Amino acid sequence: MTHPNKNDSSSSGYVKTDVRIIGFGNKYRSDDGIGIRVVEELEKLDFFKNIEIIDGGTSGTDLIFLIKGCGKLIIIDAIDAGQNTGDVVNIKVDDIEEFIKKDYKSFSLHDLNLADILKLIKALKIDTDISIIGVKPKSIDFGDKLSQEIEKKIPEIISIIKKEINI
Amino acid sequence: MANNLNIEVAPLSRVEGHGDLILDVKNKKIEKLIFRIPESPRFFEAMLVGRKYDEPSHITSRICGICSVAHTCASIKATEKALDVKPSDQTIKLRKLIYHHENVQSNVLHVYFLAAPDFFGVGSVIPLAETHREIVNIALRTKKMANDMVRIIGGRAVHPIRTVVGGFTKLPTEEEMIKMKEMLKLCYTDLEKSLEVLKTLDIPDFKRETEYISISDPVDYALYNGKIKSTDGWEIDDQNYLDKINEKVVQHSTAKHCWASRDAFMVGALARFNNNHDKLTDNAKKYAEELGLKAPCYNTFMNNIAQFVEIVHSVDDSIRLIDEILEEGLDEDKAMAEIKPKAGKGVGVVEAPRGLLIHDYTYNDKGRVEKANLIIPTGMNYANIEKDMHALVPSIIGKSEDEIRLACEMLIRAYDPCVSCSTHFLKVKLINR
Repeated sequence: MTHPNKNDSSSSGYVKTDVRIIGFGNKYRSDDGIGIRVVEELEKLDFFKNIEIIDGGTSGTDLIFLIKGCGKLIIIDAIDAGQNTGDVVNIKVDDIEEFIKKDYKSFSLHDLNLADILKLIKALKIDTDISIIGVKPKSIDFGDKLSQEIEKKIPEIISIIKKEINI
Repeated sequence: MANNLNIEVAPLSRVEGHGDLILDVKNKKIEKLIFRIPESPRFFEAMLVGRKYDEPSHITSRICGICSVAHTCASIKATEKALDVKPSDQTIKLRKLIYHHENVQSNVLHVYFLAAPDFFGVGSVIPLAETHREIVNIALRTKKMANDMVRIIGGRAVHPIRTVVGGFTKLPTEEEMIKMKEMLKLCYTDLEKSLEVLKTLDIPDFKRETEYISISDPVDYALYNGKIKSTDGWEIDDQNYLDKINEKVVQHSTAKHCWASRDAFMVGALARFNNNHDKLTDNAKKYAEELGLKAPCYNTFMNNIAQFVEIVHSVDDSIRLIDEILEEGLDEDKAMAEIKPKAGKGVGVVEAPRGLLIHDYTYNDKGRVEKANLIIPTGMNYANIEKDMHALVPSIIGKSEDEIRLACEMLIRAYDPCVSCSTHFLKVKLINR
C-alpha cells in the first residue's frame, strides 16, 4: 500500500474513510480500559463521523485483520513506554523496536502483546501507517472505573488523535 | 546435568494473562513446585450482584477476549435456567454455530501462534513468520474465517452483542448463511496442509493418567450443552455440578484448586476428546487417526493436537448446522423467547476452548442477581498442571537447565492456560541459584 504524501503540511492526505481508530483494553481492569473509554467518547463527536471507530476489546491478534483496507490506523491503549504515570505518548510503528528497548509495556492485549503483534505485522510486510497513542496507567487492578488522573487525560488524547488524522 | 535447580519463570511467556512457575530441585528431588496465578477471579462475581438479568452476559463477555462467546453463553444459559426462559431450536442452533467459531478462533491462536513456535524451535510467532510463512498465513486465514463467522452471527468478532438472554436481537440473513457456508468450504485446503505439517511435529513422549472431565451429549461433540461427564465413570446433570466439582483455597494462588474423584483433574480439548471422541465427524476422526491421537490419551502435550482436530470438527459440523437452519428457514418469530423476571437459581455449563466453564446465578423476584459463582477452566486445571510437572521434571532432570525450563513451559502452555487477566509484560526472567 502506498502512503499518501505525509509531508504535506496542510493535510495528512487522507480522507476520513481511509482512517480507522481502534481502542484496546479491558474496561473492567481500571485504567487498562482507557482505549475503550476513548472510543466511547469519539463515537459521540461529530468530528469522527465517517471514521471507522472500533472497540477492539482484548483480542490482540485481530489487529492484523483490522489493518486491512485502511490507510491510517490509530491505536489507543494503556502503555508504559518509560514515561510518568498519566503521561500520553504517541508512538509511530517504525519506532516500536526503540520503545521495546526502553522497556515498553503494553498492558492490555490479551493473547500476543501489542509489541509482538506490531512486530508480526512488520514481519508479514503489511505496510500501513500506524500510530499508537497510549497513556501510562495508574492502576490495572480489577475495577470498572478509570483513575481520576487517567480520566482527565481523555481530552488530551482526543486532541492528539485529531492532530494525527489532520484532515 | 542438573542436581540443583531453582527456576522462576515470571511471567510465563505466551500464556494468556500471566502466571509464575517456581521450581526448586535439590539433589535431583523436587523441593518446591508451584504454578502460581496472581489473579482476582472473584471480582466479576461481586460485580454481577444487583445487576438486571440482561446485563451479566455482556459484563462477563469482557472477562476474556479469547473466551467471550463462552462466557456469554454460560451466562445466558444460567439466566435462562433461573428465569425458566425457553429459547427456540433455531436459537440453540445459531448459538452452537457461533460457539464453534470461538473454539476455532482460540484453537488456531493456540496451536499455530502460541504452541507451534516451541515445536519448530523458533521461540515465538515472529520468527515463525520468516521460517514458516505458510503456516502463519494458514493460521491467519482460518482465524479470519472464524472471526467473520462470529461477527456475522454475534454482531462483533469478539464480545458479541446480538447473543442475548432469550435468543438473538438480530438474525443473520439467508444470504449471510450461504456466504458462511462458502467461507467454511474454503478452509479444507488449509486444514489438509496443516495436517501434513502437524504430522512432522515431535510431540514429547509424556504420559500421566488423570481424571478427564467435560460436558457430554448423546449426539453432539458437546461444546454448548450436555451433562458433566468424567473418564472415571460418572455423569451428572450440569445443575448439580457441586455434587462432584470441589474447590479449595491454596496458599500460593488467589485462584482456587479443584478436584473431583481424585486430587486433580484435567479439562480442555484433550478431556473433550477422551470423553466424546466417538461424536466427532468422520472427517475429524480421520485427522485424529493420522495424527496418532487415540482415546484414551494420557499425554498432555497432545492437547495441542486435540485442539486442531476440533477445528476440523467445527468446520464440518458448522456446514451441517447451516444446512439444517437453511432447510428449516430463518424465522424472525423464533428469534426471541418470552422473558418474565422471577426468583430462581440456574447453572450454565459450557465448554470454553480451555475446558469446562460454569456460571451459577441466583436471581431475586425482580430479576436481579443476588449471588454469582464462576468457575473458570484454567482454575480447574491448576492442580493437574502441578501434578503433571511433578511427573515430568524427574524424567528430564538429566537435561540441561534450558531444556528443563523449556519443557516445563511447553507443558504449561499445552494446557492453553488463560488467567482472565489481560496484562502482559515482555520480560521472562530465569533466576538460577
